[in-house]
This record gives sequence, structure tokens and C-alpha cells, in this order.
Amino acid sequence: MMVQGDLEAGEGEGSKMDINMKEKSENEITLIIEGADTSFVNAIRRTSMTEVPKLAIEYVNMIKNDSSMFDEIIVHRLGLIPLKSDKEAINGILMPSECDCDDYCPRCSVSLTLKRKGPGIVYSKDLISEDEKVVPVYDTIPILRLREDENIELEAIAQLGLGMEHAKWKPTTACAYKYYPMITIGEECEQCYECVKACPRGILEEGPEKPKVVNIEDCAMCKTCMRACDREAIKVGYKEGSFIFKMETDGSIPPKEVLERACDILMEKADNITKKC
Amino acid sequence: MIPIRCFSCGKPISAYFKEYQERVKDGEKPKKVLDDLGLKRYCCRRMLISHVDTW
Repeated sequence: MMVQGDLEAGEGEGSKMDINMKEKSENEITLIIEGADTSFVNAIRRTSMTEVPKLAIEYVNMIKNDSSMFDEIIVHRLGLIPLKSDKEAINGILMPSECDCDDYCPRCSVSLTLKRKGPGIVYSKDLISEDEKVVPVYDTIPILRLREDENIELEAIAQLGLGMEHAKWKPTTACAYKYYPMITIGEECEQCYECVKACPRGILEEGPEKPKVVNIEDCAMCKTCMRACDREAIKVGYKEGSFIFKMETDGSIPPKEVLERACDILMEKADNITKKC
Repeated sequence: MIPIRCFSCGKPISAYFKEYQERVKDGEKPKKVLDDLGLKRYCCRRMLISHVDTW
């Protein structure tokens, strides 16, 4: 993907930003971003973490709870269960701040019910949603344990929210970037290969003339190799304007969609600035 | 009961607890089970390793 424009990105690197996808799975994405600067990559990271709305249980009407667990604990556990919140699932659901009701109404919420009789463990799959698209991502999350003749009955109300308000509304779990590492081995090298032995991540391998860098992207930039080298031949640095961006989601929204929506939100904010001028 | 999410990163680790417990009980090495389940970070791994279900 190439993004061209008048934006200044990176120092003396021109205005071209180059993004390569390194890995992509259901809940994880790894990008290599070149020709950007920290402020830009960080803006995307922070927007993805705190400003992409997703669904989570916000209100609970406890009808019956005979279990040995307090209502508050059960409610807190319910809140943390990730619910499917992709574009399709949240289509048509309003943000509570945009809705004109007081607490919740069918326009800004989805109701889930839970009714179980003991004995046994109550799992997230026992939550029955009124909307078949809004369901817990995992079926195997234990909520509480019931003994013989104990009952649980409740209605849970899921609403949209932002990660900046509560961690239950954060679509991402690990979301971070690091500089693209760069290892240079100078002429001073005497092939002692102490650095190869010292590297905790196995980045270096013995080469014919000097150590060979094998998997540079795994480098943690810990500089253990620099400390192991007596002749100061090896240097660990980073590539200016290049980043490895990794995002993992809790399964509620695919990582690509989180990025898309984060960029839309950033763009909307930028548009607002130009409109007001 | 095991916490729903990892304290540090927020990954919903409780979803894997039942499988982890059963497989460890059957004699598998906890390391192998955790690797299979895709729990890479040590923050998530300690959640399962150190949890004791009292009841």
C-alpha cells in the first residue's frame, strides 16, 4: 500500500510511506511501516486502542442469584467477556452518548439473558443474545459455579463504548510498535563469535568472515551482543522512520477492521479541524 | 474462578483454562499446552500456570 500526498513523513525520506504486511491471522496483524514518523504511528496505535467503539455488557438486571459469588463480581466478570462487534454486528446500534434515552433503550443496546440451574459451571455460551450477530467471542469462558439447587437468572445489557472509558471496551490486547532494528558489524571483528553465543533471541549465526544476521525482526535491541564484543565491532541501532507494528485483538473485531476504523476516526478528526478554519 | 482476562495485557485467557487443566491433568507438559493454545507472552502464561481453583 502506498500513501502519497503532501504530508511530511520521516526526515529527508520524502513523502512516501510504504507498508508491508508481514503476518496476518484471525486475531493478529504485523505490519512493517517505512517512511513514517513516531507521532504518526503512535496516533494510529492510540486511536486503535482507545477510540474504536465495541460492545460490552454495561448494565445487569440481577433477577436471581443463589450462588456464593457476589452480584458485583459476577457483573464485573460479565463486563469483561468479549462480544462480537465487527461492522456487521454493530450496524444500526447507536453510541449511548448519541441516543436520547436516559440509561439504555433498544436503539443503543443489545440484551442478553442468562438462566441456569445448578450444579455446574456457567459458561459464556449460556448467555443467550436477542441479536444472533452479537454473541460472546469465546464459548468457554467460565462465569460462575453453581452448587446443587442454586439458580442464576439475569438480564445483561450490552452497549457500545470506548477503550478510554473502560478496558472492557478496548478492542486490542497487545498493540505496539518498535523501531526496525539494524545490526552493523565492523571491520574490527575478529570472528570470536561471542556475540552469537550471547544473543538471547538467536538473531546471529556464525558466518565465514563475520557473524551473519539471520532474523533481524526478532531483535529486541537488548545490546547483549554489544556488551559481549571486546572490540566494539558490533553495533545495534535502528532504521530511521521504519517501524514494526504489531496488533492483537481480543477477537471481537478483526485487526484489519480495527485499523480501518482507527484511520477513519483520525481522518474525521482532521476533517473537523479544516472545517472549523 | 479464574480471572476472565490477563491482568497485564487483557487477552481473554479464561477461555483456555478448561482445556489447559484437562490436558495438564492427562500428563502433558504445561509448556507444550500453553504453546499449543497460542499464549505467547509470559503475562498470559503466568495467569494459567499460577491459578489455583479453590472451591
